[in-house]
Amino acid sequence: MSSVTLKNLSKSFGTVKVLHDLNLDIEEGEFVALVGPSGCGKSTLLRIIAGLDNATSGDIWMNDKWVNDFSPRERNIAMVFQSYALYPHMTVEENIGFNLRISGLSKADIKSRVSEATDILDLGQLLDRKPSQLSGGQRQRVAMGRALVRNPDAFLFDEPLSNLDAKLRVQMREEIKRLHQKVRTTSIYVTHDQIEAMTLADRIIIMHAGRIQQMGTPTELYKNPANVFVAGFIGSPSMNFLHGQIQTNQGKAQVLLPSGATIDFIDRGNLPADGRVVVGIRPEHLEFATAENRDNVFEGKVDLIEPTGAQNHLKISVNDQTLTLVDTSLRELNIDDTIRIHIPVEKVHVFPHSE
Amino acid sequence: MRHLSKIGLHAVMLIGVLITIFPFVWVALMGTHTRGDIYSSPPPFYVGNNLLQNYAELLDIMPFWTVLFNSLYISVMGTIAAVLFCSMCAFGFYAYNFKGKNLIFGIMIASMMVPPVLMLIPSFLTLKYLGILDTHFALWFPGAASAFGIFLIRQYMGNSITRDLLDAAKVDGASDFRIYWSIVLPLIKPALATLAIVIFIGLWNNFLAPLIILSSPDKFVLTLALRSVQSIANSPWGAIMLGTFLSMVPLLLAFMFFSRQMMDGLTAGAVKG
Repeated sequence: MSSVTLKNLSKSFGTVKVLHDLNLDIEEGEFVALVGPSGCGKSTLLRIIAGLDNATSGDIWMNDKWVNDFSPRERNIAMVFQSYALYPHMTVEENIGFNLRISGLSKADIKSRVSEATDILDLGQLLDRKPSQLSGGQRQRVAMGRALVRNPDAFLFDEPLSNLDAKLRVQMREEIKRLHQKVRTTSIYVTHDQIEAMTLADRIIIMHAGRIQQMGTPTELYKNPANVFVAGFIGSPSMNFLHGQIQTNQGKAQVLLPSGATIDFIDRGNLPADGRVVVGIRPEHLEFATAENRDNVFEGKVDLIEPTGAQNHLKISVNDQTLTLVDTSLRELNIDDTIRIHIPVEKVHVFPHSE
Repeated sequence: MRHLSKIGLHAVMLIGVLITIFPFVWVALMGTHTRGDIYSSPPPFYVGNNLLQNYAELLDIMPFWTVLFNSLYISVMGTIAAVLFCSMCAFGFYAYNFKGKNLIFGIMIASMMVPPVLMLIPSFLTLKYLGILDTHFALWFPGAASAFGIFLIRQYMGNSITRDLLDAAKVDGASDFRIYWSIVLPLIKPALATLAIVIFIGLWNNFLAPLIILSSPDKFVLTLALRSVQSIANSPWGAIMLGTFLSMVPLLLAFMFFSRQMMDGLTAGAVKG
């Protein structure tokens, strides 16, 4: 196992800078997810850590060794690709054993190591098959087996589940998590799926436009997003945003919305000097107002109802703005019904507008 | 109606096959007749009884088996060399990024537009300067890095080998040569087989290059030897036809072997699916 440290890492393709001075510490045995939208540089970063691409500047340390000039093999990493990248002309057994064969291990050793890995992944029946004779999930497992068999210092995953259907994805996600709990190898997992990242990782790194936006545990990111981007990225359905201006009313911090309505919030500091802010409210934190609620109560009209089974997603139009509300009580509502909603003051996030 | 059109289609294809196969059958039949029978009217379209005499005469007029071996040697060596060098070069163009890559590739493609006949004298002078005139090496080696072959394989690699596959092999710890040998070569078999057929046939049928390069009769290849025994009068046609027919057999075998490889490769399965 190995720790991974990046110092001032940058990468440019020609004149286009895709990674900007990244600094990152990954502990030994940690499972870290790199999340961000397409083109944010997460796969590029993973390839640089793998040794498949070179950084333009900056340092990569693994286990306190400077590895910038090391090949993937010298870094002793294993990688699972989005396309699985199985060798089409080799059987499952040969695919998994290929790197051991290169290492010059004896046939008996290779066989025992391969069968160890295939037992873990339940691939024992498929050893003689070629990749073209396997289903998507099985190929995925073979790709995992290929990584697992060599006892690497770190696993790198590049969106390994995105070619699977939804059900299989959930199943494989569980398997990856179990596997990590078993082997406890440092893992770096790239995905654009926040649910995948949140369910799997000890720590999530959110990237946008080649910069790290925030690092933290899934709960930290959900509870205390550092900026509008992180707030909008984490959570599903995504956070409601309203633009407004800060004001103080009888000692209470408020945001004045363009419609004239106000939202009370708890001032946690870090507010912009010009007072222009974005208010963020998670759909699951919006609730139906009761008689006891006095502040942060708004009247709105139901625009759209999206039932998902355990909860309904309601689109509510409030003063020309549309808010999403997650209703777990499954209240019987019709389109155009007028309802009163309440925003708990402690759940209101306020971000500087410039972001 | 559908049945009828199918019969029609088969009939057309059958006629095509007959037209194609006719010269081969004709040559084979003429190899069993005497010169006199061949010139008789109507020509004898049946198996004659002069096969053994023709064979004896063939061995008499030329060292047939030596010449056949020469042809085989040049074709096999040239094919192996071309497949090896073209695939290596194509791998270089496909897998690596280096300065001037596109320019070099472009110049290489442009070189295919120069008519081969124009290169006859320069290549003769070059071979003479190198002191390898009248050697078999001079016949098979210069074609080893053919622009056509590199282009063909390079394009095939683009369709059959993903970047991820090369990266996966790198992560697995394979050296550059190992990637080429263990991963790339098995996956481009169909392209290699296609190139092998083209090169083999080209070398086997080559007449002009041996004509200007070879001068010793014991180094002659089939095309040259079969031509050299023809004259205006008294050409031993029966023997020549038999020799011609025998010279086609290795070509047929080579084609059968490579076309099988081609089919195997095409059905091996791709990365995704």
